[in-house]
Amino acid sequence: MVQPVHVGMADLVVSRHPAHLVTLGLGSCIGLVIYDQMSKTVGMVHIMLPDSREAKNIPKPGKFADTAVPLLLDELAKLGVNKSQLRAKMAGGAQMFSMPGKDSAIFAVGARNTEATLKMLSSEGVRLVAQDTGGSKGRSVEFDTDTMKFTVKTLGLGTKEL
Amino acid sequence: MDPTSEFTSIHMDAIKEIGNIGTGNAATALSRLLERIVDMDVPVAELVPIYEVSAHYGSPETPVCAVLVRTEENFSCSLIFMIEEFKADMLANLIIPMDLSGMDEETRLQIRNSALAEQGNIILGAFLNALSMITGWVLPTTAPAVARDMLGSIMDLVASMFGVIGDSAMLVKTNLHVKDLDEDLGGTLIMIPDPGSLETLLSKLGVL
Repeated sequence: MVQPVHVGMADLVVSRHPAHLVTLGLGSCIGLVIYDQMSKTVGMVHIMLPDSREAKNIPKPGKFADTAVPLLLDELAKLGVNKSQLRAKMAGGAQMFSMPGKDSAIFAVGARNTEATLKMLSSEGVRLVAQDTGGSKGRSVEFDTDTMKFTVKTLGLGTKEL
Repeated sequence: MDPTSEFTSIHMDAIKEIGNIGTGNAATALSRLLERIVDMDVPVAELVPIYEVSAHYGSPETPVCAVLVRTEENFSCSLIFMIEEFKADMLANLIIPMDLSGMDEETRLQIRNSALAEQGNIILGAFLNALSMITGWVLPTTAPAVARDMLGSIMDLVASMFGVIGDSAMLVKTNLHVKDLDEDLGGTLIMIPDPGSLETLLSKLGVL
């Protein structure tokens, strides 16, 4: 069993087999994995916000959906994977607080993250094969190249494999 | 612009002072509510890179309870009071006059959440009252929202909210100690200004 690598906020990690990538406590953020089943190569990114266009500078491209997805694909390409074989799975994008009325837009960042990530995957032509997004509960996610399984854990609701 | 990238020690001192007066007020309000002595630590105001916000508070999978209110008129911001879940339930039990043991889990949770919403509302409202006295602004709050989840997931949202305006988060951390209890019921107060609000506040205080 390899040491788990923690993918922190706005971090982006790619690895060849063997790899065990972990992101703990996703709230409104997205944990996205893109992998190649054949070569067991995987990348994970912890996306915080949907859109980089309003940001003045972008110290960490993993922060935004529109910059994270292309970068993740570039990094996977450097490891020699064939883009057409790549598949994606994602989790997160919860709305942690629900407030009645006009305020809710501010807390709907989770839904906007999900939407932006889906849009980027489709414009890059990467097939999404599983997702566990939305709702009001936080999630921890793991991907292990031994099993090639994406595991999602929710406090009080247990663990499921995607 | 990212206001936090241009912060000087004068700005941080101003924020610390607000934190000081605000949490002092919050401790007094909590003390009245619980009819117990509540002490507080001197608040610490720090600028933390948003990417480290989660790890800054402890293990990301610690179960916590968080209460959130917003104010929107003169100064728009979100305020969060966060406390470990088992401490939150001890705090809630202090103002629940009835015995919950015979009730089902769902009902118990609802009653405790409602008590916590009220306690959080009083603590955060007292903080805003202090800010209101300093600035002369009227700062009405929304109804409180309560979340029970992993610490990491709450801080994940906090980091994203700060992330909209830049790459640093300004955190005011304090501990409230309730006397005559075995456990220290320390909680954390976080103020998240909306984009542009921090400049409004600092210029009102005459330091920008």
